[in-house]
Amino acid sequence: MAFLVHDARGLERRSGPLAGVERARAARRLWRVDLLQAAAAASVAIVIALFLSDGGATRFGDLGAALTSLGIIAGLVATDLVLIMLLLAARVPLIERAIGHDAAIAFHGRLGKPVIFLLIVHGVLLLAGYTIVDGVALIAEAVAIWSLPDLPLAILGFGLFVVVVVTSLVAVRRRFRYETWHLVHLLVYAAVLASLPHQLSVGGLFAEGTWQRGYWLVVTYATLGAVVLFRVLAPMILTLRHRLVVESVAPLDDGVFSITMRGAHLERLRATGGQFFVWRFLTPGQWWQAHPYSLSAAPRGDSLRITVRALGEGSASLAGIRPGTRVAIEGPYGIFSEASRSRSRLALVAAGIGVTPIRSLLETAAFRPGEATVVLRTQGATSGWLLDEIRALCRSRGATLITVPGSRGRGWLTDAAEGEGLTLPAFVPQLADSDLYVCGPRAWSEAVIAEARTAGLAPEQIHHERFDW
Amino acid sequence: MKRRAVILASAASAAAILAGWELGALNAMTMPVAQDNPTAVGGFGSNGSGSGGSGSSGSGSAGATAGRSTGSSSQASASSAVDGTFTGTTVSTRFGNVQVQVTISGGALTDVTALHLTDHDGRSVSISNRAAPILKDEVLQAQSASVSMVSGATYTSAAYLQSLQAALDQAGF
Repeated sequence: MAFLVHDARGLERRSGPLAGVERARAARRLWRVDLLQAAAAASVAIVIALFLSDGGATRFGDLGAALTSLGIIAGLVATDLVLIMLLLAARVPLIERAIGHDAAIAFHGRLGKPVIFLLIVHGVLLLAGYTIVDGVALIAEAVAIWSLPDLPLAILGFGLFVVVVVTSLVAVRRRFRYETWHLVHLLVYAAVLASLPHQLSVGGLFAEGTWQRGYWLVVTYATLGAVVLFRVLAPMILTLRHRLVVESVAPLDDGVFSITMRGAHLERLRATGGQFFVWRFLTPGQWWQAHPYSLSAAPRGDSLRITVRALGEGSASLAGIRPGTRVAIEGPYGIFSEASRSRSRLALVAAGIGVTPIRSLLETAAFRPGEATVVLRTQGATSGWLLDEIRALCRSRGATLITVPGSRGRGWLTDAAEGEGLTLPAFVPQLADSDLYVCGPRAWSEAVIAEARTAGLAPEQIHHERFDW
Repeated sequence: MKRRAVILASAASAAAILAGWELGALNAMTMPVAQDNPTAVGGFGSNGSGSGGSGSSGSGSAGATAGRSTGSSSQASASSAVDGTFTGTTVSTRFGNVQVQVTISGGALTDVTALHLTDHDGRSVSISNRAAPILKDEVLQAQSASVSMVSGATYTSAAYLQSLQAALDQAGF
């Protein structure tokens, strides 16, 4: 069963010329994505080139030298990948606006295991290579290596890398609360700094006075500088400049509540509907918890609003936040917004509390009357979080609103709706020529996306926001 | 990754690798001291400077035979060595230069001092520090440069013994 709460399909004017601004914007963004990917790949090639430029190509003559050379290359590539990981997580605007926060963090996560693998290869190959070159026993060589300059520090750095990556494996990470995991994750900066000295002193490649050393130091310090700038300084400046305070906490139902905050110069945030901030409510018991929440209303004047469902103990305690509490912010993040549009038609699909960014996006997205469709999975036909607001927006802006009420089925719809043969293309006219924004639990979102792919949507038409960490 | 990204990445990577390769080849040509076989004595390019301890001195830059001082002190016959301090040639290896100084006293080799050892990188320094005392002991015991090389320090040992031989030649030892 599905309910047509508001029908705007008749409003569509067929005569309207296709402006194509969305397509042009998407084309520019996709160019930036491709260039960033190429730059990342090229940075790996560059570190191999550094090795070759130092005469590395001649050091493959015998087995010992070849193993040593390969071991050095593995270490160089691993370190380069670590720097890429740091940049992906550094909230660099260039990266965030092109590939989006979710995709950047997902890519960041995929690099962890390869880095550890390469670091192990680095150690094993160099130990084997040195042993063969020196013609001594493995144990003797292992002892000799320990006395190399800065090597104990580098091994400590490796240990820290392992800790950081292991605590980030999905199965292990679930055992920690977010804040604990994040604190452990910060050890990665110690790992990077601990491994730097041996790169400069043990290897001849980065000997003092070489241009290779210059490149390496510039790349390393620029990356760490970006982290400091965008993850430490920028949020501090934002927080001090906008001086956000909680204005009201309004309960909706079922443990869901909206927090409205008031601040100064909010237009300078340039936040739009669908984006999110990382919020910290500065009370003695709360300040250390960072909450990523989407805006549930477009920024209006001096006010920002989020709508929170008490999923974890952290979000549950937010219900007790007092008006007047100061709020520290990081953001705005995410391209679940106009920034990622690629078509002029729009389909917004949400389940449960995933409705929040859909609600604010509906407010700011550009579309002509009749060319947007909102599909909500709700508990009741006419009851749902923020449903009244969404209905009002659909009426005033000319968007069709459909609710699919009931409990979870096998797919993304209810079993009843699926039994009636309802599908995404049945809800959304000209779906294949629309931008699709999906927000909800992970498995549910994947089901929607799979159906959209089957319906012929290209990757750049599908926009997904996940709200579990 | 999309095809365009793959093409861009491949082109940029190929350019970087090629540039690195060319720079490496260029370096190999302009750095004649880099030799692959340090045990072949005489194969090193070196700029030697020998200075006899007892007033005589000679210096020049030449091949491996350079460093043999032509000063008065080295004109002694091979059978009777001259007392004094003699500096061997500087021998270049790809891990850095090596130069040693010997002290002859009472017709015997009494001391060997390493003036410079392989120090191109941290690993070289560590290897040098390990090999030098071993070589010194062996040399003083054998009273000649005909000693076995320290395992794991092939380049350093070969250069050390070559420089040592040049110093002994000067002394007519």
